[in-house]
Amino acid sequence: GSITTADGSALVKLGNTTVICGVRAELAAPPVDSPNKGYIVPNVELPSLCSTRFRPGPPGEEAQAASQFIADVIENSQIIEKEDLCIANGKLAWVLYCDIICLDYDGNILDASTFALLAALKNVQLPAVTVNEETGLSEVNLKQKNPLIIRKHPVATSFAIFDDTLLIVDPTAEEEDLATGTVTVVTDEEGRLCSVHKPGGSPLTGAKLQDCITRAVTRHKEVKKLIDKVIKSIQPK
Amino acid sequence: MAALELLSDEGYRVDGRRAAELRKVRARMGVFAQADGSAYIEQGNTKALAVVYGPHEMRGSRSKALHDRALVNCQYSMATFSTSERKRRPHGDRKSSEMTLHLKQTFEAAILTQLYPRSQIDIYVQILQADGGNYCACVNAATLAVIDAGIPMRDYVCASSAGFVEDTPLADLSYVEEAAGGPQVALALLPASEHIALLEMNARLHEDRLEEVIEAASRACKAVHAVLDRVVRDHVQEATAL
Repeated sequence: GSITTADGSALVKLGNTTVICGVRAELAAPPVDSPNKGYIVPNVELPSLCSTRFRPGPPGEEAQAASQFIADVIENSQIIEKEDLCIANGKLAWVLYCDIICLDYDGNILDASTFALLAALKNVQLPAVTVNEETGLSEVNLKQKNPLIIRKHPVATSFAIFDDTLLIVDPTAEEEDLATGTVTVVTDEEGRLCSVHKPGGSPLTGAKLQDCITRAVTRHKEVKKLIDKVIKSIQPK
Repeated sequence: MAALELLSDEGYRVDGRRAAELRKVRARMGVFAQADGSAYIEQGNTKALAVVYGPHEMRGSRSKALHDRALVNCQYSMATFSTSERKRRPHGDRKSSEMTLHLKQTFEAAILTQLYPRSQIDIYVQILQADGGNYCACVNAATLAVIDAGIPMRDYVCASSAGFVEDTPLADLSYVEEAAGGPQVALALLPASEHIALLEMNARLHEDRLEEVIEAASRACKAVHAVLDRVVRDHVQEATAL
């Protein structure tokens, strides 16, 4: 909650990797095919200041792939019910723009972005909105704010693979460069899998994959405890 | 004029400060491991981050290399959530390009570029929260980052904005005061020699008043210099104590 101009924000540091996420809520008309749902639009930016490997200019493929991954995680894990974002059926809904900016790149950007997103969403306070029946205009009540209802808490765990022999968790940039492949597993609090992302790279045996999944579940518990602790510590505002 | 009074009868501004008072400045150096030099500064609610890479070999076109000096490459960008309305294009729009150019010119004047011919120094500045004085926070953050990277400079470059309301110069404008539309001056100063690196003024101001406003801005810059100097000394002490 460090950025006051954003509706919700969070800064996450995973070793040297630093990621900040800001969530802004805006009002818009819901999409025609699902009039009772709002939308969430994630965007991951890897600016040139985070590392020498990124050039200034339009977002590179790594940033776009990361944005798509986050969008998939949101979709698959149902972190927020889109129906909760709807205010007036067919007329008005919230759109949450989640901007994730990497400030220091030292590997494992996907894990850090998912934590930052989760923490920022937990921090969001949405003002109450009522639609005036006669004029059709919306009235935003800035004084009364409600937190977002977060249904599930997905946590990502990444591993780097080296020729099917070695598996290391939470790789740094150096390790990622030398690795022959990576795997990212996203789990939620009931120990269920939300998503497994293995973009090519050297093949992995089923047993190894199962091992990764169990480790991811353990990690999830630790991370959830940390997030809860932080949220509780900023509660009395 | 709007119902908002920029300066009340008792001499208090909108956020409770006096006319010549600066906002609280908090700064930290060496915040990032990847970069050669980095710094974070908060001036009131304006939060800026600066990262310096260099000096290193020219990237991209070798032909742009200067045979006797280093090339200073700047990029200014604002986070999309930094302003009260979501900013669609973080860089590439005119305001950002103008700021980038100003930063580049300011730092070319201060950094001893003759020591590094044919090389490039990159300065990237990111604004996380904008509440007035964006350019000034960037310059101050970039000065700290350049010092953190160990690149020699002629002097600190301290910047501050100043405005004018009802015969009183105001130092360090916040967003509300900037938006009110009065005359504003942004000044980047090298405090020891009192040389001006950059001076920019908007709106109309009577030339007799210019002296006063510049004086107010210089005093503000010197105050900022005192804070930055202390931050640098504390940081070096911590680093050498280990």
